[in-house]
Amino acid sequence: MSELFPRKQIMGFVFSLVLTAAALTVYFLHLSFAQGMAVLLITAFVQALLQLVVFMHAGETKDKWIIYGKVYFMIAMALITVFGTLLIFLWDM
Amino acid sequence: MKVDHTLPLEYSTKQNGMNIFGFWVFLAAEIMLFATLFTSYFTLEHRTGSGPSGAEIFEIAPVLIETFVLLTSSFTIGLGVHAMRIGRKKAMMTFFVITLLLGLVFLGFEIDEFITYIHEGATLQTSAFTAMLMTTLGTHGLHVTFGLFWGTAILLQVKKRGLTPETANKSFIFSLYWHFLDVVWIFIFSFIYLKGMM
Repeated sequence: MSELFPRKQIMGFVFSLVLTAAALTVYFLHLSFAQGMAVLLITAFVQALLQLVVFMHAGETKDKWIIYGKVYFMIAMALITVFGTLLIFLWDM
Repeated sequence: MKVDHTLPLEYSTKQNGMNIFGFWVFLAAEIMLFATLFTSYFTLEHRTGSGPSGAEIFEIAPVLIETFVLLTSSFTIGLGVHAMRIGRKKAMMTFFVITLLLGLVFLGFEIDEFITYIHEGATLQTSAFTAMLMTTLGTHGLHVTFGLFWGTAILLQVKKRGLTPETANKSFIFSLYWHFLDVVWIFIFSFIYLKGMM
């Protein structure tokens, strides 16, 4: 039975719950907007990285750098799209 | 087809490896799809018109349950892939069934949430904010719904044909899709709900 529950996956799950709990502090504590956003940005991106490496097995085959390259490039594009638009439409720069 | 036994079953042929890489390319495109939805949401989230704002309609309890259920389903499908790699078909199928059931629970809560919003006067046509909120949440929910059908179809194939390079490959690719939906949900949870209630 125990061979069905590898340590790596259980640790990954526990860590993802801890990150969710950490993100919840922005709801229960009275943080400033900047502090709250800092907490959310860190917990969300660490959580995404955790899923990518632990659960999606992104780094285990020999095409790992093509996969990581592709995903990181798209994340960069996504961030440019989101923050570029905010810069123009919301922050009036 | 040449089968390489040093690799896990889902990677064991050249075609399998390419299928998995192809799916990563698709997921990268999905990142952009959700990026544009988030972009529009952030741009329009304060345009509430005469309708309610996020802080007025968001409730922490159902959102927390949805998050916990989806995180757990991501964990159980990870265990399913692990069971598949050690050749335990029955355990793998059990974990996949649990995953799909959790997906169904998630969907139930999300539909209930939508019905609540509509009763509170936040429909797709109320304001720019509610339109973008429902489009973003709805796109994710639609992906989960599609995943339920896809996952069920794969389970039926595994049951009928056993763990072959083809069925293992399909199961693994489905697990990638499911984890991706969990990642998207984490961003919805953080930057739509928690940010809105902060």
